[in-house]
Amino acid sequence: MSTALTRPPLVRSSDRIIAGVCSGLAAHLGWPVKNVRIGMAFATLAGGAGLAFYAWLWIMVPTADESARRNARRPASPIAPTVSLDPAFGAGSPRPAGVPPSAQAAGTQPLGTPDGGASAPAAGYGAPAAGYGAPAAGYGAPVRPPWFRVRSMRYGKEILLGAGLLLVAGILIAELLGVDVPLGTLIPAAAVLGGAAIAWMQLDETRRAGLVDKTKADQAGGWARLAAGLALVVAGVLVMVSGSGSWEQTWLALLASVAVLGGVVLVLLPWALKFWRDLESERAGRVRETERAEIAAHLHDSVLQTLALIQRRAGNEHDVIRLARAQERELRGWLFQDPGRDAGQLSDRIKATAAEVEDFLGNAVDVVSVGDTAMTEAHEALVQASREAMLNASRHGGGAVSVYLEVSDGRAEVFIKDRGPGFELNDVPEDRLGVRESIIGRMKRHGGTASITSTSDGTEVRLGLPGLQPDNAEGKS
Amino acid sequence: MNNAQGTGPIRPAQSVRVVIVDDHAIFRSGLKADLDASIQVVGEAATVEQAIAVIAQERPEVVLLDVHLPGGLGGGGREVIAGSAALLGTTKFLALSVSDAAEDVVAVIRAGARGYVTKTISGAEITDAVFRVAGGDAVFSPRLAGFVLDAFGTAPADIADDELDRLSARELEVMRLIARGYSYKEVAKELFISIKTVETHVSAVLRKLQLSSRHELTKWAAERRLL
Repeated sequence: MSTALTRPPLVRSSDRIIAGVCSGLAAHLGWPVKNVRIGMAFATLAGGAGLAFYAWLWIMVPTADESARRNARRPASPIAPTVSLDPAFGAGSPRPAGVPPSAQAAGTQPLGTPDGGASAPAAGYGAPAAGYGAPAAGYGAPVRPPWFRVRSMRYGKEILLGAGLLLVAGILIAELLGVDVPLGTLIPAAAVLGGAAIAWMQLDETRRAGLVDKTKADQAGGWARLAAGLALVVAGVLVMVSGSGSWEQTWLALLASVAVLGGVVLVLLPWALKFWRDLESERAGRVRETERAEIAAHLHDSVLQTLALIQRRAGNEHDVIRLARAQERELRGWLFQDPGRDAGQLSDRIKATAAEVEDFLGNAVDVVSVGDTAMTEAHEALVQASREAMLNASRHGGGAVSVYLEVSDGRAEVFIKDRGPGFELNDVPEDRLGVRESIIGRMKRHGGTASITSTSDGTEVRLGLPGLQPDNAEGKS
Repeated sequence: MNNAQGTGPIRPAQSVRVVIVDDHAIFRSGLKADLDASIQVVGEAATVEQAIAVIAQERPEVVLLDVHLPGGLGGGGREVIAGSAALLGTTKFLALSVSDAAEDVVAVIRAGARGYVTKTISGAEITDAVFRVAGGDAVFSPRLAGFVLDAFGTAPADIADDELDRLSARELEVMRLIARGYSYKEVAKELFISIKTVETHVSAVLRKLQLSSRHELTKWAAERRLL
């Protein structure tokens, strides 16, 4: 089985003539597609073995899309430790790390999932010459690690199939050798068995689908398969029972059997409904589990890391406060931010700027915002001027800074207040550009206003930007 | 972090009896240590049921009430206020929250709390807020003022509007200044009015916030989880 490791998983390719089996097989085995196709055609001539093999692979092997979708449905949690897997199995299908083993064990894997693919070709080699099929498939089971033992049941099906093919081969050989085989009985019987197998596979599919998200396409395919299986079984049974194949008798029997089937459906309906509800609850449980894993991952990456940092820097009050503030901000954003919201609005930019200043200088910058608007070039200038004012307030105010943003009817105003000792604008040297250029000059250039009030109780910078483009103003909602 | 409330004039001579309701023991003990000596913590509670029982038994002047609490029917601080409705005349509730979600804050205010402050506020500020609430005033943090402005709109009242659904021009001014980080004293100075008048305006806004039937208020709060 280790050779399967280095190969791409066996999937049906989209580059196809009939069902993409040959090109998929070629990709898996690393052979030229043409050779595989010619080989398959020749095998078909040899008593239909190629045809049987083709059909078998068609049923068993998922398409590339299906395979990718199945893998995608298993979100891997970034923090849950990768469950110790036998590498041979890890290679075929990346297993969902955050899912408890029990959930996986319960979900009987259908034949032909990517990891099943590793054993499928092993069984496949044997199929044309039926005789090797069974042992090759059967030998896969005992090497499963204990963790997978619950699921080794599924190889029973492959053994059965192998045995069936063996039987067919035996019959064909017997036929060739001149032994009289009662085909009239055997073919209906085979039809019954085949139909039942298809229907059971469908059941298996449904159970798997309960654990993963099911798409409409799967459902349609499932119903088609169920119908085909049912038709095969009914037809087989009818032909077998009526024996003669006379039409009147067959029709009568058909009517009777449909009536019986209806009765059976009626009886089994409650059971089926319960089954369906179980599936639904299982699916909901899985969604919750995924959510929990996501939350755990986030807390691990953010909060636990910060707490560890805080413990290491416990001596430095400044660092501790800064870390705690930054983490608080991050967590709030994660908890309350609506991910569907447009993040490029003015209030977001002001908050981001405040966070930046807070990180840079360590003093808290509290933002209260009322209303919001989309960004324009002038608003960008407003944000930059606010940033400069926040930096000054944090640097010279030496304490918490209050920022208030109000947008109404398109007019945006930002107030930045600190409680520092204050300063006199006229005392600021001419060569200091911070206040004069970055705040007042910038606002004026963009048609806005800026004023500074400074007393011994603190300084407040007021920035205003009239709503030039009313269609940009969303105002409050 | 919350610098809205400067030192107010209300400092009763006698001490104020307070019950602290919060499900985190660390926070309760930290808050007790931070509070001024003139504030007497007479009881503590960690769940909705405990809180209602302790408040009924101690009849404190002020309850420092966490917005999020386990127990009860899941209503948290709101449920505690509803369960102590008989005492609302004598016992004042001051909501404390880390959540900052407008939905929670507005819900607890509408249930009857006299104010709301964030948990990051300093001991001196919270002491001041307790005295203010005990004196019958409302305590608005800049954030709560921001919520109010967002919910009621920043345009002054029209005549046609229901009086409860809009803020008067003066109330709007006061709310704006509080949102900008002004203390009551600074608001009074800025608007050339007395601190008492500022407090009257804030109480009027609180009343509107509690009584307004403005149906958008609830909807607005539900939409605004962020801040």
